[in-house]
Amino acid sequence: MNRIKRGYIARKRRTKIRLFTSSFRGAHSRLTRTITQQKIKALVSAHRDRDRKKRDFRGLWISRINAVIRENPKVYYIYSNVIYNIYTRQLLLNRKIVAQIAILKENCIFMIANDIIKTKNPPRRYFGKV
Amino acid sequence: MATATVSISTLCATFGTHCAISHNPKSQFSQPFNFNRVSSHSYNLTFSPRLPLSPLPKSTESAVAQTETGSTDPEPAQIVPAQPPSWEPGLFAVVMVGSRQYIVHPGRWIVVQRLKGANVNDKIALHKVLLVGTDTSCYIGKPIVTNAVVYATVEEQGLDPKVIVFKYKKKKHYRRTIGHRQPNTRLRINSIMGYENYPKVTMDDLKSEDSQTEDSQS
Repeated sequence: MNRIKRGYIARKRRTKIRLFTSSFRGAHSRLTRTITQQKIKALVSAHRDRDRKKRDFRGLWISRINAVIRENPKVYYIYSNVIYNIYTRQLLLNRKIVAQIAILKENCIFMIANDIIKTKNPPRRYFGKV
Repeated sequence: MATATVSISTLCATFGTHCAISHNPKSQFSQPFNFNRVSSHSYNLTFSPRLPLSPLPKSTESAVAQTETGSTDPEPAQIVPAQPPSWEPGLFAVVMVGSRQYIVHPGRWIVVQRLKGANVNDKIALHKVLLVGTDTSCYIGKPIVTNAVVYATVEEQGLDPKVIVFKYKKKKHYRRTIGHRQPNTRLRINSIMGYENYPKVTMDDLKSEDSQTEDSQS
């Protein structure tokens, strides 16, 4: 067999991976073997978190809606009432939009809540043990 | 009425693209939160692209003339000075496109899923308007605001930035790398129309209700 030197084939391959990992911290952007491992971990995390992102944001929106809706000192509003009434009153707004409106246009969210919630519970003035 | 809205929308489009004093084109709502979210029951999205209209040269000339200082001679009476059409303050709408909901302001752009068969500079009418709001009042759609339309122009049919789909099983010698660019369409929102005759809720209703409940309680 002829003698073949490997030359810079491996180096060419590794520079591309190094470019991907160029902003990582410490040894994860300097040492060749750790660079390949960290690139794999980064891509796997990105793939997994793209699905997680959808779940995380939905939880964030729910928390935000709950927080803003409970702020109303005059009436007893909570997240579950709002969502139940959105469904029974046939509004199509999803949680992302309701959360954004709640943060940025507070008047609007209270108008919506007023319009759809018909509850007879009085506002909670006493927060201790009943 | 239709011709008036069309001319207003073209004026708005040309004003936004040619004049330097345009509003910030990026919508503060839609940019970070454009994800595929829980959608609703299926409604047929009525999508009516109209014939592409070329931008009116007269309005651009007069728009440029307005930005210069007032030392120039008064223009002949034929050219209509281009002004941004005045909307109610804080006008916005929630519109559903491609099974995702967006908060939409006239004059700003949004990025939606690729609309097949829409070419650049097509006019689009979006009929699934779920909510229209202003500073003082709110038109809550149950489920949609009837006769409300959002007019938009297709600005660009592009691709999302590339995501690398990397499948990997550890210790099993399995890895696959796929690159993916999702096609999208950028729409410039021209106007929100047709919501005036819908029952609306205003801040006054809220205050009167509060005073009623307080009277009844006290």
